[in-house]
Amino acid sequence: MSHIHIEVKDLTFAYEKDRKILDGVTFTAREQDAIGIIGANGAGKSTLLKILVGLLLSFEGTVRVEEIPLEKRTLPRIREKIGYVFQDADSQLFSTSVYEDIAFGPRNYGLPEEEVDRRVRLALKKVSLEGFGKKPIHRLSGGEKKLVSIAAILSMTPDILLMDEPSAALDPRNRRNLIRVLNEFDHLKILTSHDLDFIWDTCSRVILLGEGRILYDGNPEGILRDKKTLEESGLELPLSLTPREERTPSGGQ
Amino acid sequence: MSRITGAIREMQTIEESASRDQWVNRIHPLVKFCLTILYLICVISCGRYDLPRVLGLALYPFLMFELSGLPFGEALYRLRIVLPLVCIVGIFNPLLDRRPGAEILGFTLTMGLLSMLTLMIKGILTVLSSYLLVASTPVDDLCAAMRMIHIPRMIVVEFLLIWRYISLFMSEAEKTEEAYLLRAPGQKGIAMKNWGPLLGSMLLRSMDRASEVYEAMCLRGFTGDFPAGRIRKAGRRDLVFFVSFAAGILLLRIFPVLVLVGSLFAG
Ligand SMILES: Nc1ncnc2c1ncn2[C@@H]1O[C@H](COP(=O)(O)OP(=O)(O)OP(=O)(O)O)[C@@H](O)[C@H]1O
Ligand SMILES: [Mg+2]
Repeated sequence: MSHIHIEVKDLTFAYEKDRKILDGVTFTAREQDAIGIIGANGAGKSTLLKILVGLLLSFEGTVRVEEIPLEKRTLPRIREKIGYVFQDADSQLFSTSVYEDIAFGPRNYGLPEEEVDRRVRLALKKVSLEGFGKKPIHRLSGGEKKLVSIAAILSMTPDILLMDEPSAALDPRNRRNLIRVLNEFDHLKILTSHDLDFIWDTCSRVILLGEGRILYDGNPEGILRDKKTLEESGLELPLSLTPREERTPSGGQ
Repeated sequence: MSRITGAIREMQTIEESASRDQWVNRIHPLVKFCLTILYLICVISCGRYDLPRVLGLALYPFLMFELSGLPFGEALYRLRIVLPLVCIVGIFNPLLDRRPGAEILGFTLTMGLLSMLTLMIKGILTVLSSYLLVASTPVDDLCAAMRMIHIPRMIVVEFLLIWRYISLFMSEAEKTEEAYLLRAPGQKGIAMKNWGPLLGSMLLRSMDRASEVYEAMCLRGFTGDFPAGRIRKAGRRDLVFFVSFAAGILLLRIFPVLVLVGSLFAG
């Protein structure tokens, strides 16, 4: 049996009183899992990821990361293991140049400068942004920023990767690239996306969130072909799984 | 280009010039930081009528502009909002203090005029030297240098966050202004009555973003300490630079060099 990496039990969370965003969410994620979290806008996908990295601590229930209970005291240890890519790349990038930003994490871990340099180069290569090191962040396009924010996490070589809408803003070539990067990362990864084709290409397990609960947890085939359940949750079949004659802009009515 | 957009570009170009590869930029940040502090102390401690000494101290920023290759005109342009404010400080002195002071080229300067000029130039020099520091040293290096000499972590982190907050606030302001103007065609600026709510939402949004950025820093192992590993050890060149400039600044502070040179020429 593979090692349990993240264990979530009866997780309940509300930003404001009496409006539960998550309501009794329970699942365990294992070392080799590639989990895609799907759900309509506002379903609580980002909230769930933020809880897992300890950005929102006022939750009820228990969360354990590699056997360590998630609480304020254990945050530094847990954060060393998890890499988290924000939904909004602008919130994540704060240095002057691409190089500086990607080097920020490794430097904080006290790595020697040569190792930092090696990691920055490797991370840039992974997202195909070689030669972007010197560029000022504010001169990047939206998609380039996204790739840099991913590289900034890869350079820290996390055990667990959490990504919020990683494929948003990427053109088809960079999207393919990211799929390759994700498939090469062979530890636990959890990502959210509205891009069900992307989920189809990268995930071995899908969790569907709706009304604060888990409506589906299982293999991608089971849900991504289930037109009815998807539509009830405000989603549509992935394009690649939609029969050709139904591929109309309105989703095939 | 709107004024806010312009202001953001300016902040960004300051940061860009700080990360240029030029030899003054490569001088150890701690050296530049300490020199700047020493210089500020020297300028501020000059007497309020001590115009010649203050003028003598102006040599340092001018030399630094020359050495670092930062265009002086550009600096004046970027500081165009701050400099007039600095100059206003002593503006009433000439009216308040009409005692005769120094005599220059046959003109008598009143004590008030003298103190106004001294204050103004002191202000300009402090602003210019601080500008030189931030325009030739990346912020993170500056913070690491401050930590090296054990300036309390709280103060250094605060400095860094304020620096970042200013840019975030301005970019929020830019977005707000653009969004507003796109939906208020034909209007030249933001109408007075809308300033209140807009400013409020801008402050809130930039605070939200600042806390997100801070969270992003923490998630990547930031603990309020700036790893000194990123800064190389100070070398001989840094030492020479420090000793010669510190000596120069102290000389200018102790001797009114201008007066001495002047009396040489006067015989
Ligand atoms: N800081 C906050 N304060 C109060 N409510 C919030 C806050 N952040 C999010 N919410 C609310 O929580 C709900 C879930 O938000 P969340 O960002 O987790 O959704 P999501 O599933 O990621 O949606 P999307 O697909 O649009 O990214 C939303 O209804 C949102 O309005
Ligand atoms: Mg989201």
